[in-house]
Amino acid sequence: MERACISARQLFMLAILFEHGSAMVIPLGVDAKQDVWLAILCGMVLGGGLLFVYYRLFTYYPRLPLTSYSQRIVGSFFGRVLGIIYVLYFLYIAARVLRDFGELLLTFAYPETPLFILNAVMMLTVMYAVYKGIEVIARASQLFFFSLYWILILGFVLIIIAGAVDLHRLQPILEEGWGPIFHVVFTQTLYVPFGEMIVFTMIFPYLQKQEKVMKAGFLALLLSGINLAMIMGMNVAVLGADMVSRSTFPLLNTIQEIRVANFLERLDVLFMIALIVGGFFKVVVFFYAGVIGAADLFQIKEYQRLVYPLGISVLFLSIAIASNFAEHIKEGLQIVTIYMHIPLQIVIPVLLLLIAMLRQGKRGRKPQGAREQRTP
Amino acid sequence: MWLRLRNQNKKQVYQYDKVAQEGIYGTIERDLHANIEKVRNITGNSADIVIRRFLLGKEENLSSALCFVSGMVDENMVQQLLIEASVQLSFPSTCCDQLDYIEKKIATANTTRRVKQWNEVFSLLMSGESILFIHGMQEAISIAVKGGEYRAITEPSTQLSIRGPREGFTESLGTNVAMVRRRIQHPHVRVEAITVGEVTHTNVRMMYMKEIADDNIVEEVRSRLQRICMDGVLESGYIEQLIEDETFTTFPTIYHTERPDSVAANLLEGRVAIFVEGTPFVLIAPAVFIQFFQAVEDYYARFDIATALRFLRILVFFISLVAPSLYIAATTFHQEMIPTSLVIAIAAQRESVPFPAFVEAVIMEVTFEILREAGVRLPRTVGQAVSIVGALVIGQAAVEAGFVSSVMVIVVSITAIASFATPSFAIAVSARLIRFLLMVLAALFGFYGILIGLIWMTIHLCSLRSFGVPYMTPLAPLIPTNLRDTFVRFPLWALTDRPHGITEETNIVRQGDEQRPEHNQETRREGDEN
Repeated sequence: MERACISARQLFMLAILFEHGSAMVIPLGVDAKQDVWLAILCGMVLGGGLLFVYYRLFTYYPRLPLTSYSQRIVGSFFGRVLGIIYVLYFLYIAARVLRDFGELLLTFAYPETPLFILNAVMMLTVMYAVYKGIEVIARASQLFFFSLYWILILGFVLIIIAGAVDLHRLQPILEEGWGPIFHVVFTQTLYVPFGEMIVFTMIFPYLQKQEKVMKAGFLALLLSGINLAMIMGMNVAVLGADMVSRSTFPLLNTIQEIRVANFLERLDVLFMIALIVGGFFKVVVFFYAGVIGAADLFQIKEYQRLVYPLGISVLFLSIAIASNFAEHIKEGLQIVTIYMHIPLQIVIPVLLLLIAMLRQGKRGRKPQGAREQRTP
Repeated sequence: MWLRLRNQNKKQVYQYDKVAQEGIYGTIERDLHANIEKVRNITGNSADIVIRRFLLGKEENLSSALCFVSGMVDENMVQQLLIEASVQLSFPSTCCDQLDYIEKKIATANTTRRVKQWNEVFSLLMSGESILFIHGMQEAISIAVKGGEYRAITEPSTQLSIRGPREGFTESLGTNVAMVRRRIQHPHVRVEAITVGEVTHTNVRMMYMKEIADDNIVEEVRSRLQRICMDGVLESGYIEQLIEDETFTTFPTIYHTERPDSVAANLLEGRVAIFVEGTPFVLIAPAVFIQFFQAVEDYYARFDIATALRFLRILVFFISLVAPSLYIAATTFHQEMIPTSLVIAIAAQRESVPFPAFVEAVIMEVTFEILREAGVRLPRTVGQAVSIVGALVIGQAAVEAGFVSSVMVIVVSITAIASFATPSFAIAVSARLIRFLLMVLAALFGFYGILIGLIWMTIHLCSLRSFGVPYMTPLAPLIPTNLRDTFVRFPLWALTDRPHGITEETNIVRQGDEQRPEHNQETRREGDEN
């Protein structure tokens, strides 16, 4: 672990940017048709449950990241294996998000630029940020938080002024009952983006005031859930459920509907800012967690030495994981969800928590981990 | 030989101070003649070292000599001193210590001290004091008659303001320090003297407010100043470069100003000012990013106007940063984002231009930078010629010759004006450099490149620190109370806190409660009745 500390406010803002990340621009949970906002809100509520699991784990070991306390919970060997799995998972997801991001840019603005170049430029920036450390990332997130929020508000206002919103497109609510919604929740929205908060188990220990994790984390989850629901709801209200489910980037199509006074039109650049800033922070957080996890597992004092090798690996991985966009999406929706998200976001953390509770219970009411770890 | 080679194969070690003083060890001798010879020898018989020999006292029994550097002393005072010493001074018949008597009796208006060591003699002599050698005495008297010509106090040339004091710093250290002290008449204003430069012996003053400035920051500044060990420190820029936190950045992490009111305001916010002899630019540390967009006038004008101007300045900074790269990106990659009629107009103009937008932009920007540089360095009379030629070349001829499109001219002009409108030159220069980087990125990747460049810049800004204070304070780390004096400037009565993180945390409130002016309702009602 790096010697650093961040404030609860910074954690909150970083989490918001992370949650918005790519979720804002991709068609998130569109199988729920016009009830997509409900699917997102349900995902958020269940995601809150997951976050609570991560939070409980954190309260047992407030000075340790996931890769370290897994070793304390299930023993050195299995803990290490778990740690390595998580590091690989974080790096893999970083590569996936990077790929998502590159593909989006490719199809939307740069049809003739090689994917590798786009990804490489982004990855270099990410590596630079991770090299500078979590404090710098957290500080930068405060600056970008406001710029992103201003852009979102501006977009909302403009789209309402442009008169493109038709709330009737959101009806009928619950056309086919709760079934399809929960299907979407359990196959998509729970894991991306809410279950991905698992990555913050690597960042919680940096918090200056440990007792504020709960508040910052849950507020971030709540706010980003509501925001994402509003964005997707807005997409449906502007484009109609049918268009949204067929679109690759519903938000882009929505923004393109903005036409005000023959002057403010084609504001694709707003979409682009949201895409790049969001994507950037998502990759940064995953990549940082991966790098720190690896440094923690292999006892490397200066984690910076891992940034370049791992960064290059992630860059190549992002190219190599799929031969085209369709394959990439299919992998993401089917294989990654079943074999990665469900076990790593839900099953293992819950098991870890149960074992930790049993272990702590055996040693008496006062959990020793909580106080003992404070002086490393 | 000033520098001695220790070992031919090894790296030379800096040892100027040691070598330089080697020749002038020892104490003053009794013999006046020998002393004068010593002074002549050491100074190489330099023409501006004046050695005035005279007989001391009415009785004319003590041959003595007054040594000083011409031009560095107040000639009137020296004259008076000589008259006093040779004509008016008379020794009482019973005198215990002649030297003591002389010291007390002459130059009563000036500070005097007795010196014995040669190195002391020379450092005092070179700093502009006069040394009085007396035959038969093993000590000399050094008399402070410092003077000489300095530029008068004039209006600062770099930071003009419409409202506010008109005086700017001069090259005289004493005057500068006094100008600030006159503004803060409180014993807590601390001034520490440090001499830097092994050869130049430049006087440096560190000024801060006890109790307001954070002790750690003061200590950090002090220790960084004391670390400096080099031949010459000729301007505050030397010191700035030697004590700043990060060398490899285009952003200034130390603020400099020519205005005493600005220094006073910064001292009251708990910052440390560094005065350097021989320059009107005073350094202020720690500096944060937003400080470079603040002008003293913001606080003299009413808050609404100040706020509007602050917004304007931030906007202007962004324009000077991205305007050419936006043009490149829009015309090269994202034509669809420009309104149709405008894109047709641009395309029509660019039809005759033989270069891609990037080359066009680089040509124009470089031309402009050349013009600006020429305008800065040239004598004023020639400068006008430059601007005429520049206006013709940039403005009309280039467009008519088909080198560049007229839209490009507009973009360059806006950029130029915007970079002039940035209140701090230091930050405007860094925008100039980054602008070219962004132009390259825009030519390669369009808006994506610009955004990546800006993200890179933001990360870099967030990673900077100035004397331990994060550079983007109070934006990141976010300090809500201090946001009142960033992009906006709240009414003065609402600026209750000094900057957190810079000021001593236990003493953060800077004004009493209820500073808001109360409307005197009763008097107004009376007025209505009449």
